[in-house]
Amino acid sequence: MTATIAVQSAARNDVGLIPKVSEGPALLAGITQGPGLASHRDRLGPAPRPSAEALVEMARDVDLRGRGGAGFPFAIKLATAARRRAVVVVNASEGEPASHKDATLMTCAPHVVIDGAAAVAHALGTREVHIVVPSKLPSLRLIVEKALHERAKAGERLKVELHDAQPWFVAGQAQAVLQLLVGRENLPVTAWKPEAVSGHRGRPTLLSNAETFAHLGHLARVGSAGYAAHGTADEPGTTLLTLRGDGWDPEVREVAFGTPLADVLSEAEMTQPLLLGGYHGTWLRPSQLSGLAVSRRDIAAAGASIGAGVLLPLAEGWCPLVRTAALVDYLAGQSAGRCGPCRNGLPAMAEALRGLVHRGGPAGRVEELCGLVTRRGACAHPDGTARLVASMLARFPDEVDSHALGTCRGNRREVFA
Amino acid sequence: MTGAAILNGPALWFANRGTGFVLLVLLTLSTMLGVLSTARVTSRLWPRMLTQGLHRNVSLLAVTFLAAHITTAVVDTFVDIRWWNAFVPFSGTYKPLWLGFGSFALDLLLAVTATSLLRHRMSHKPWRAVHVMAYAAWGMGLIHGMKMGTDAATVWGAALNYGCIAAVSVSVLARFGLLAHSRLVTT
Amino acid sequence: MSEHLLRVDWPACKAHGVCAELLPEVISLDEWGYPIVHEPVNSDVLALAKTAVKACPTLALRLTQPPPRPA
Repeated sequence: MTATIAVQSAARNDVGLIPKVSEGPALLAGITQGPGLASHRDRLGPAPRPSAEALVEMARDVDLRGRGGAGFPFAIKLATAARRRAVVVVNASEGEPASHKDATLMTCAPHVVIDGAAAVAHALGTREVHIVVPSKLPSLRLIVEKALHERAKAGERLKVELHDAQPWFVAGQAQAVLQLLVGRENLPVTAWKPEAVSGHRGRPTLLSNAETFAHLGHLARVGSAGYAAHGTADEPGTTLLTLRGDGWDPEVREVAFGTPLADVLSEAEMTQPLLLGGYHGTWLRPSQLSGLAVSRRDIAAAGASIGAGVLLPLAEGWCPLVRTAALVDYLAGQSAGRCGPCRNGLPAMAEALRGLVHRGGPAGRVEELCGLVTRRGACAHPDGTARLVASMLARFPDEVDSHALGTCRGNRREVFA
Repeated sequence: MTGAAILNGPALWFANRGTGFVLLVLLTLSTMLGVLSTARVTSRLWPRMLTQGLHRNVSLLAVTFLAAHITTAVVDTFVDIRWWNAFVPFSGTYKPLWLGFGSFALDLLLAVTATSLLRHRMSHKPWRAVHVMAYAAWGMGLIHGMKMGTDAATVWGAALNYGCIAAVSVSVLARFGLLAHSRLVTT
Repeated sequence: MSEHLLRVDWPACKAHGVCAELLPEVISLDEWGYPIVHEPVNSDVLALAKTAVKACPTLALRLTQPPPRPA
């Protein structure tokens, strides 16, 4: 199951590397046969068309959560959107640079995702489906277009519109996606109602991550019992993880819930600090990793969140303070610039972190800024950034102290001029 | 004096010119206060609400003087100005071009006033697009005043006109000068 | 008692600060001039809160009722 086969994702990280992909137990089963419709149907048969009630019940049975990072219970979202003139939006924009699972799904198993979207659309009584793809991966769009063309030739009647998301971090945010869909700038605006209530052109909009739709399609096929063939009793199913996504040797892997972290990361990685969830995630100390499994509950108990399934072990010889400072610098530059607290607060935070790196203080200023940017913006970009920083301060106070004394476990201060 | 005597005498004409100059001063003040609002000028003794409140009240006062100015012009029988000349630019027989500037200014101010009274019931962007036309209304009203009569040639008339131009110019330049140094990227 | 919440439309807020002047009990300004809403609006300050909403130069302030907590 962990043997890597010559399957290529069209994903590419910022260093230009293509993540390694291996076959998986559910979503990534059969990717070695290519992304074509024929082999997909040969392997799985025709796609089922359950009713909205049946889908909601199945999603509730397995506690299906969104895979975009927030982990919202999908059954609630589906039930809310199940009204007249609903719209389905598949979000494969994947603005997080360290995440490649959606790009991998869309290029190695597009029909798995589209089956799920089609099932939802049918259940909601709509034919209007939008798929948002990242503009920075043009080959991904070609593959999706081909997949849609195959389905149209096979007689499927679905009106799918493709949209190109900008290569920004916040481009995948729900309201930013809705703006893109109506031809405005792909940036967040204030949402007074949830999208499932009033989204695209005021209609109930089921906007979810591509992987979420993939899970739904799989769930519709195999039912709750089949879905629970992998995972644990409390957390049935699998999830896609991106390992080392923004560095060397990136990898996308499908993993059953309950899998020990030690089976996912290398021995060396288990002795390093881990940034879990993505650039808006939380840090974990090495001591916290040994008993940990890929489980929402376990991870929550450790004070973290699985987020978008991004695992970033700190590279050998690096320091979590310097790594965080560099990330905040990036995140500050990725602010949409529309909300005062974020536009002013994130650069101030980056500046304050530089102060921590070079002088070890003042930490009070960093904490103050974290408080000032939280819940004061149209989207959660500043909140996620504050969460990242707060977790670093909480887990590695000794690191901050050592910088004050002019030492650093990674001796990396000179990198950050 | 009989009603006819008032209508046929110079009283209304004087009233018209008087209200015209007061109107110019009030509109100039209002414009300056509007510019001051965007520049976020405030101090311990001068809260932002004061600027906003004054701007609103001065503007409403200007509207009443505008009504008086138009009424005195129309009712006066010395020159032939009809009701519709006030609202339809360039439709008059007496100095149609310069009167038309005034009518245009009136139309713009009607739009500004109506949208501002309903500001909280409409979306901000269209309200703002209409509101900036107040600058044009001020300018057109000024030109109307300078060209309509002979008062502009007098010392006090010229002083008022050029004083108002200077006041608004200084406010606008100060506003852009102030914000050029501001860290906040705002409008 | 139904408490109201003052919510800010952040992209619309241009830090004019009129709201903080009108409602210092509930709103203060951060170091960049943007409002910090400290607490929900109770009946004592409701009228002032409505004035503040109308007075915002960019209509960035809204009075909402918090969504009902799921049972």
